[in-house]
Amino acid sequence: MAKITFHNITKKFGDETVIPTMNMEIKDGSFTVLVGPSGCGKSTTLRMIAGLEKQSSGDIFIGDRCVNDISAGKRDVAMVFQNYALYPTMTVWGNIEFGLKNRKIPKYERKQLIEEITEIVGLTPYLHKKPQKLSGGQRQRVALARAMVKKPEVFILDEPLSNLDAKLRHQMRAELVQLHQRLGTTFVYVTHDQVEAMSMADEIVLLDKGEVQQIAAPLTMYDYPKNLFTAQFIGTPPMNIIDTTMLPAATWKKSIPTKIGFRPEKIMLAAQPSRLHFSLPCTVLARETLGTEIIYQLDTFAGTLFAKTFQQPIINSKNLYLTVKEEDIYSFKKNNSCIAPPKGVEREIKGIVQ
Amino acid sequence: MRIHQLFLKLLNVTSLVLIILIFATPFVWMAVTSVKSLSETITFPPVWIPETIRFENFTLAWESGPFFRYLVNSLIVTFSILILQFLTIVPAAYAFARYQFFADRTLFALTMITLMIPTQLIFLPVYLQFSSWGILDTHLALILPFAANAFGIFMLRQSFKQVPEELLEAARLDQASEWKIIYKIMVPMAKPTIITLLLFSFITHWNDYFWPLVMTTSDSSRTLPVGIAALTNVEGGVAWHIMMAGNMILVVPILIMFFFAQRQIIRAFVYTGVK
Amino acid sequence: MNHLWMTLRPYTMIAPALLVFLLFFIYPIGYMVYLSFHDWNFISPDKNFVGMNNYRALYDHPEFLQSVENTVIFTLLSVVITTVIALLLALWINKPTKLYGFVQGAIFSPHIISLVSIAMLWMWLMDPQYGLLNWLLELFGLPQSEWLASPDTALYSLVIVAIWKSVGFNTLILIAGLQSIPSYLYEAAELDQSSTFTSFLKITLPLISPTLFFLVIINVISSFQVFETIDIMTQGGPLNSTSTLVYFIYEYGFRFFQLGYASAAGVVLLIVLSIFTVLYFLLVSRRVHYQ
Repeated sequence: MAKITFHNITKKFGDETVIPTMNMEIKDGSFTVLVGPSGCGKSTTLRMIAGLEKQSSGDIFIGDRCVNDISAGKRDVAMVFQNYALYPTMTVWGNIEFGLKNRKIPKYERKQLIEEITEIVGLTPYLHKKPQKLSGGQRQRVALARAMVKKPEVFILDEPLSNLDAKLRHQMRAELVQLHQRLGTTFVYVTHDQVEAMSMADEIVLLDKGEVQQIAAPLTMYDYPKNLFTAQFIGTPPMNIIDTTMLPAATWKKSIPTKIGFRPEKIMLAAQPSRLHFSLPCTVLARETLGTEIIYQLDTFAGTLFAKTFQQPIINSKNLYLTVKEEDIYSFKKNNSCIAPPKGVEREIKGIVQ
Repeated sequence: MRIHQLFLKLLNVTSLVLIILIFATPFVWMAVTSVKSLSETITFPPVWIPETIRFENFTLAWESGPFFRYLVNSLIVTFSILILQFLTIVPAAYAFARYQFFADRTLFALTMITLMIPTQLIFLPVYLQFSSWGILDTHLALILPFAANAFGIFMLRQSFKQVPEELLEAARLDQASEWKIIYKIMVPMAKPTIITLLLFSFITHWNDYFWPLVMTTSDSSRTLPVGIAALTNVEGGVAWHIMMAGNMILVVPILIMFFFAQRQIIRAFVYTGVK
Repeated sequence: MNHLWMTLRPYTMIAPALLVFLLFFIYPIGYMVYLSFHDWNFISPDKNFVGMNNYRALYDHPEFLQSVENTVIFTLLSVVITTVIALLLALWINKPTKLYGFVQGAIFSPHIISLVSIAMLWMWLMDPQYGLLNWLLELFGLPQSEWLASPDTALYSLVIVAIWKSVGFNTLILIAGLQSIPSYLYEAAELDQSSTFTSFLKITLPLISPTLFFLVIINVISSFQVFETIDIMTQGGPLNSTSTLVYFIYEYGFRFFQLGYASAAGVVLLIVLSIFTVLYFLLVSRRVHYQ
């Protein structure tokens, strides 16, 4: 078990800078998810931890050990790859055993370890099959078993669920979380899917363009985004953002923020505007009914917005007013940093906008 | 309409049979001749079914020269070439497929140029070179120039390149050394390509006549094809039945091999030709 | 230390193969070019520099010119006829049934047989007195031929053997090419009511043409190297009518030990082969672009 520390890490591929400067700490025993849009540097970060990629400058520590000059195999890190990377010419047993053999672990001990692990992941009946004969979920388990059997200090998972169908992915998410609780090892998990990040992480590291945008627990990140990027990346549909230049100046009491934002589920739809809260006239463009929740796409003079309602009757009329309470409104400064309610906008916005 | 179709079908089948005959008859004729008597070979019109089947022709052919020696030489030379090619091709293909290093493209181009240099072009200078090394008329002279195979490097490099990078990374995280990655992961994965290549090399060098002809002068290092070709110069005129019997010894094993591994052999040649 | 090894490792891995290529392919080419400017008979200790003399002598040597002519005729005939027959066969027997598979195997079989056996077998088939071919000609009421025994027919007889040997290989490569043409193209053409012939002209031929060019070039290159059949069947005769470039080099190098002279002929062959090799590589790089 170990924490992971990045100290002034930079990474360049030729002339292209992928990671300008990165400082962060991944907590010991945490389930940390690196998330961000494609090309944000999350996989590079992960591969630097594993030692598959070498940083251009800076130091990486696993525990208290500086691993700059330690090769991938010796870092005490195990990895689960996106496409599983199972050795196709070896059986399940051979796949799990390969790393142990290379570490010169004696035979009887290997046997014991493999039997123990395969029992946990439920692979015992498939030990002598080749990976091609297994289903996606089973391959995933082999990949996990192969990583687990080494009893590493750090577990690294690179989009491990992206090749599974939706149902299995859901199931595996829960299994991975349970596995983490059971092992108590540091997990570093990469995904581009913020839902996956929200549902699994103890802590989310949100990256964009090679820079850490925010490190926080999922709900903290949801409620208190640090900046515009975080606010928009986390949550489906994303937070509605309105450029304040689109709104009449009369709306503001004191200083004017550059942008304001509110989550779709905070919107209330009604036939009448509210006198007390922030209100805009809107037209329903489209409606998605997803069972308990309904998503409306709304057209307003300030742009297209999304609203989400829970367990409420479908609204059929076209022309409505949307209303958001002041305490649900986030405001953004010119540098895109975010001030979350209640200390944010508070009562700066008055009444309706006609 | 019906009759028209039937006629076309008949024509098609007849033509197919004709094609098969064009390619099979010479071999059949070889087999028939190989069990004839001398007098039966010099009659016109030719005899299709010999009166008695003379298997002793094979013994005669076999004993007309040190054919056991030739056979042993052929086996030594061919298998030495196969083993050496395997040992040189695999690491070279891996390096070209997986590493970036100074002058890698130049060195690869150099390898590819060799592919286009036929032995018929370089036998003279190589002969002089071997003569100064004192290895003319030895197995070494027949083996060394073919200890590597540019074509094999090219093909195996292609197939090594197709192995996903993730797999190598997984192996590195499993603390596998590069050598272990090669022989535990890469070679097993490229097994079909390697078998194809070895099959191709085996047939090429087993059949080779030109190189042993120019590099050997004595029976101690001559190979089977050279020995068989020498049957044309048997004293006392041309003995077609003995010559054909000798050639049967050379041809039948290959034809049997072809019968059982037709798919792989065709693949070996067509694949190596197309790529 | 570790870093040094990382740098050296790829070189050590390619070194054995590269050593073989350098020693037995690249260096000999250079040595041959060097020899071609010298006069040497292998026994005498000195090699005399003679400049372009060997080349001039070649140019005036009727036997050399004849062997060049023979090589060109042999190549031209065998390549053109082989390719045409192979294309027709490929279109015809490119079917997945067992019978056609058997035919494919049958026509391919000569390709894996030693040229020694093929040469001796055809010598026997072409025997003017007792040969099967003359018997067949007689059977169909045709005039018999002297085959290899006459300078008028010997070269053409060798062409026949060359075609018989390589047509199967060529056919199978073309079949592989045909099979890589996606079938939906033909389906689309059929929906457009294109005739079989139009489909061939507009779909098959353009798409198979890279394979066809490729085949022509490798056939040309291998025809220039023909040796076995000549050495066994005719030894260049009768009256030098079947001597080719390679056979000329072999004779002057190995029988007459005029090493400089033979090397000069070798350089001529090298130049011809280089031209086709360059063509080949240009083609290969084009093909890569297609995909």
